[in-house]
Amino acid sequence: MPDPGSKALLLLAALAASGAGLGWLALAMDVHWAQVRGAAARSASQVRTLRVLGALALSLSLALCLRADHPTIATLVWVMTLAAGALAVAFALAWRPRALALLVAWLR
Amino acid sequence: MFQSLRLSMAWLHTWFGLVLGYVLMICFFFGSLSVFDREIDRWAIPETRFAPQTMPSYDRMLAAIFPRIEPEAEELDAARARVGGPLPAELPVMNWSAYTTHRDPVLALFAEFAVTNNPNDPYDHVHGHVTVDPRSGAVLPHDRLKIGSEFFYPMHYSLHLHWKNLGYWIVGLAALAMLAALVSGVVIHRKLFAELFTFRPAKRTGRSVLDLHNLTGVVALPFHFVFALSGLTIFAAIYLPVGSTMLEPLAMKHAAIAAEARGLAFLPSDEKAPLASVDAMVAEAKRRWAARGMPGEVGFLHVNHVGDRNSHVSIYRAGSDRVALVGQAVHFDGPSGRVLHEEPPQAPASAINDFLTGLHLQHFEHWLLRWLYVLGGLTGCACIATGFLFFVEKRKRRHAAAGRSGARVVDALGVTAVTGMVIAALAILVANRLLPADLPHRGGWEEAAFWGAWLLAFGHAAWRTAALREARIAPAWREQCWAIAALAVLAVVLNAATTGDHLLHTVAAGQWPVAGVDLALLASAALAALAARRLRRRERAVADPAGVAGTTDTATTEAAHA
Repeated sequence: MPDPGSKALLLLAALAASGAGLGWLALAMDVHWAQVRGAAARSASQVRTLRVLGALALSLSLALCLRADHPTIATLVWVMTLAAGALAVAFALAWRPRALALLVAWLR
Repeated sequence: MFQSLRLSMAWLHTWFGLVLGYVLMICFFFGSLSVFDREIDRWAIPETRFAPQTMPSYDRMLAAIFPRIEPEAEELDAARARVGGPLPAELPVMNWSAYTTHRDPVLALFAEFAVTNNPNDPYDHVHGHVTVDPRSGAVLPHDRLKIGSEFFYPMHYSLHLHWKNLGYWIVGLAALAMLAALVSGVVIHRKLFAELFTFRPAKRTGRSVLDLHNLTGVVALPFHFVFALSGLTIFAAIYLPVGSTMLEPLAMKHAAIAAEARGLAFLPSDEKAPLASVDAMVAEAKRRWAARGMPGEVGFLHVNHVGDRNSHVSIYRAGSDRVALVGQAVHFDGPSGRVLHEEPPQAPASAINDFLTGLHLQHFEHWLLRWLYVLGGLTGCACIATGFLFFVEKRKRRHAAAGRSGARVVDALGVTAVTGMVIAALAILVANRLLPADLPHRGGWEEAAFWGAWLLAFGHAAWRTAALREARIAPAWREQCWAIAALAVLAVVLNAATTGDHLLHTVAAGQWPVAGVDLALLASAALAALAARRLRRRERAVADPAGVAGTTDTATTEAAHA
């Protein structure tokens, strides 16, 4: 088991990865893309990239959870970070959609 | 009966959700508070505001305290009723046990006493318990109510309705309805994935409330499902009591064989023998855990057949770093102190059962997961509350036009179950700080404040939902939000005034249990005030549609149960 300091960092990173991953998955959907980037068009390959990125970030989050805790606890933490991340993304889309533009700043 | 699966599921979801939603609201809200039950205990009993302690020495401390435990008076009364006459003057002790977790400054000790003269049940017994300060061995006064672990926590699974275990049955039925509501909810939700992240607060109330209902229901779906399910499995022995009814002889035989297989005597020998050093047994158990690559502290210590030649001592490792509560038991022979049996790794079925129980009861050491559980629980509350709001929103105009009171009744009960429940929970905290320290039956008065406040909130809700007759927003919601804000701030102020542990002090000293409760109270007050202001705007907009429009009352549902 890692020491408490690095465990906290791992968990923080896992939370962030879950949030970002769900953010990317949301942005792969047309309505949410429009909420964040307005009418700006994007290609089918960009949509695919967003989905892959989202899936990778969620897997990374699970890996980080498994590094931080015993597997029994890690799976619970991971599932709950998904719930927290999805709520955060939904509320950001509702009240501060532009904040999510950060996640796709690299997409022209 | 219905034209399609979707329609029949919608009917099920609406009506089961409505009727049992009030119970589920209680389960989810007090369940969420139970995540921090120990911390609420520290807030409520200022004498116990010190750091968590490990299991103290048995030989030097606990051995002298256990014999002082007396059977509970109400359990004795119940036993007299079962026996149908007086009990023997002295009930023999069957076993002693002690349970602690990484969050417990004080230690709970338990004892079971045999009721020897019940002709119908040779295993009849009653319980006793005390709480001790493990630093000094002092026994704490019995009538200080542990509001977190002895009131909020049992509230969420028994509703404090103890007659024939009625509360357990209602909660079990509600948990079953929850599972059905989740499945039927998924069936009737047309765009589960397409609208996973959808919340449109600017749309009309009916739409935005339904968005929030779907959002909170879906994102925490695994949490809702697993908690309803594990809640049922934890009390499986109450809901399916075959082991204590039809199959009791078989269950007893099984217990006897299981004990014999471990080399543990199932029955006492009726021959007295003193106990060897328990501290030496604890040291041996810890050595064995370390040898298995999982060093740890004692979570549960159990002495069976106290004082008998057949006595044995079982020492369980605290599951702070695992999901299961305790485990890796090592059993010792009482009189000689030699190891009788070391529990091997579990079979899959009992490991799954321990996982489900452990994930629900959460005695592990993981603060992030603890907070995520609170989030999950409050998400459940928001889901149920928005369900009520949607029910009312959909019907209020129709009912107002037809002069029917259905929507109003549901709204009044909704106010009582949402904001009224929070008011009751705050009232018990305020009463805890206001009542004199030496008041006899102090805990009983605190509980009376809780139920009294809830009853008042119900009365207020019934009165102030008259606006529904004109299909307007009931002012009861807004007024109770203000009551929540006021009571929460009052509780924080009273804590500072009566104990001197104000936030500056508790935060600086790292007294997080107390500081955390205070901070959560202030956050609830802020959210409730915000919700009240938003509701005010909404009410005005409805009364004067030409004026301000497009504001939202969706913050209410969250604020209401923070």
